[in-house]
Amino acid sequence: MILTTRCKEAIKTALAMTIAYGIALSMAWDRPYWAGLAVAVVSLSSIGQSVNKAAFRMFGTLVAMVVSLVIIALFAQQRWAFILFLTAYAGFCTYMMSGSKRAYFWQVSCFVAIIICIDGGTDPVNAFDTAILRAEQTGLGILVYSLIAIFLWPSSSRDLFNAATTDLACSQSQFYQACLGLAKGQGDEQEIQRLAAQVVQARTRFDQLLDVAEIDSSEVWELRRPWRQYQRQDKELMQALERWRESLAEVQVLDLQRLLPKLETFAAELDGRLAQIARMLGGDAPERAPQGMDLPFDRDALGSLSHFQTAALVVSRSHMLQLEQLTRSMFETVSELKGFSTARASSSPSIRPTVLFLPDLDRLASVVRFIAIMGVVWLALIYVTALPGGVGLLAFAGSVGIIIANTPQLPVSVLFMPCTTSVLFAAIIYIFVMPKLSSFLGLGLLIFAVTFAICYLFAAPRQAPGKAVGLSLFVTMASISNEQSYNFLIVANTAMMFPLLFLVFGLTAYIPWSPRPERAFLRLLGRFFRSSEYLMSAMRWDTRRTPTRWERWKKAFYEREVATLPAKLATWAPQLDDWVLSTTSMEQVKALMTSLQVLSYRMERLLGECGSPQAQYLVEQLLEDFRAWRIGIQACFQQLATGPAARERETLRKGLNEKLELLEARMQDVVDKACGEQVSNHEAESFYRLLGAYRALSEALVYYAGDAVAIDCVPWREERFA
Amino acid sequence: MLTPIPHEFAIGGVYLPPMLVAAAFGLLAALMTTRLLNRYRLSKHFFYPPLVSLALIIIYTVAIGTFMIGA
Repeated sequence: MILTTRCKEAIKTALAMTIAYGIALSMAWDRPYWAGLAVAVVSLSSIGQSVNKAAFRMFGTLVAMVVSLVIIALFAQQRWAFILFLTAYAGFCTYMMSGSKRAYFWQVSCFVAIIICIDGGTDPVNAFDTAILRAEQTGLGILVYSLIAIFLWPSSSRDLFNAATTDLACSQSQFYQACLGLAKGQGDEQEIQRLAAQVVQARTRFDQLLDVAEIDSSEVWELRRPWRQYQRQDKELMQALERWRESLAEVQVLDLQRLLPKLETFAAELDGRLAQIARMLGGDAPERAPQGMDLPFDRDALGSLSHFQTAALVVSRSHMLQLEQLTRSMFETVSELKGFSTARASSSPSIRPTVLFLPDLDRLASVVRFIAIMGVVWLALIYVTALPGGVGLLAFAGSVGIIIANTPQLPVSVLFMPCTTSVLFAAIIYIFVMPKLSSFLGLGLLIFAVTFAICYLFAAPRQAPGKAVGLSLFVTMASISNEQSYNFLIVANTAMMFPLLFLVFGLTAYIPWSPRPERAFLRLLGRFFRSSEYLMSAMRWDTRRTPTRWERWKKAFYEREVATLPAKLATWAPQLDDWVLSTTSMEQVKALMTSLQVLSYRMERLLGECGSPQAQYLVEQLLEDFRAWRIGIQACFQQLATGPAARERETLRKGLNEKLELLEARMQDVVDKACGEQVSNHEAESFYRLLGAYRALSEALVYYAGDAVAIDCVPWREERFA
Repeated sequence: MLTPIPHEFAIGGVYLPPMLVAAAFGLLAALMTTRLLNRYRLSKHFFYPPLVSLALIIIYTVAIGTFMIGA
């Protein structure tokens, strides 16, 4: 009989759970369910994924052990100091959890510290034993599952990783071809959007599998540095492709073949390189090496363009030259990875960012919410007598609360059904089946059958939370021990604990901000434009004055806000419900998101260009004109911060165009007067890039205003019950 | 007017406190009310709906407990 993968994985977890319980019981360890819990959470579809998660769980447990013992040792007799320091550590873990690659490490470190502290805090004499027991049981669960995963139907992620790598390279090649079509005026914007989404999906999968393949494949581990380099280059390539794509709108109207005579050859070479990279990743030797290329202008044809058209062309060309450099480096890296070249790929110099601590407001909001959850439960525990679950309520609030606080997009109600079903299922087993058992044979079979059933029924990746909740509640409620006793109160108290937890989660959902997706959407949009406004106001050409540390910090903070907020907004968009979409369609919201992303890229580009050295003569001559334009844009940002549809597209276009026309006229005047000595070719190109960046930002703002006007914000702002 | 005498509820031999039952009904009634207020767009007249929700739960729980169940 051939077993399916789903069945094999369920058998592996069930067997590991049974053996872990068997060992813990035979060693007469207290609370064997901690070993069962470790098995339940680390059982994933490949060895690498499981070992990765297991390592985070083990290290998180060890760190939590040390922290909790220190807190118990220092504050065992001081209730409020004990609560304060434990909550502060839990808050720190919450902050570190979101946005970290080691999210699970911080999550475990948080809730294990809470569990050990509340167990050991109420019984300080045995605190050390409790902490050691927790570490032992976790280690046992991890060890048993790892051994079973290695010896029984081992599933490596190497094949999946290879497939994901080829898929990513092919998606990127297709995306490049679609963008090239757009440059030639033949592209389909919707198809490009679809391909861009496909690349994002392929890269997410590649990133996940690279982490895993490094662990379960020795080949990938040996070449982990070139693989990480390829990962960085791939990300840079996609960013460069995105920027090139959004620069195409302004050059589509130009005769590119005449302006850039070697464009066809250049584009074909880039296409060929991407195809060769995909070929090598598929395991075949490359058919040819990259050829050296340049993309010169036709100076005569360039002279017929306006200054803004020249600027747009210079920008688009600089993106293409960047693509050339990146594809060449990627070709070398992939050659080395696949053994087609013995030469080491030149690694791009890593730019170390200035070390500044930049707080993330959303992560701080998660901390505030988590502290509120813990605070309410602590106070309830102290001031309400006979609370169902007792200190166990705190352990559940900590372990579930940290997830709730870090995923504000997730409504609390989605946990209601999995929790209710799991409590009912575990209660039936505990009340009606377990009392009939009299030996480990029967108990082992029961543990195996229940674990198998849960793992088999919740095998899909999207069902993972259901599986974790089901297994966790089963092992918690069954409270299996050597001296097994049955008490209906365990079932009743666990069942009563969940309504209380949901009540606490519901009450704290509005701390610090409303959890309604449309409110979050408007709030983040407001933050984006306020940040942009600050950046515009801080944009100066006065190179003689060095900005203070505070100014640099503020600038770095707002730059990070502008760069990250579009992605944060994208996580809220799918949560918008029928109420807010009654007068606005999801397509309109998506269009708004795309314009915002373009605006973000263009802000970034403008800031980058402003930082580059410019011809002093042009700067002096045009300072006032650029200032006027900047103040105009600043005013637009100020208005848009109040809501998406704060500016009419046509009014905005008219206002900005007037400023740009004035600027163009002034440019003509200034450039005509400038002699060769005052402005070199290189400086002129640099200035055109700056001009292109200004122009591009204006255009992006107009497009944004056009998409924003379609959004009817009246129902978004209306008060309603969540 | 006579209010009901507080008494426990027995379901399959499990005794539930009257306040728990009143709270469960109070929560359900409050949820239904807020849904209706949302449905007919009356919720926009409230300054801060989360507090109104909480107030409704308390009002319904106390009312059901006092006049219907006896808690």
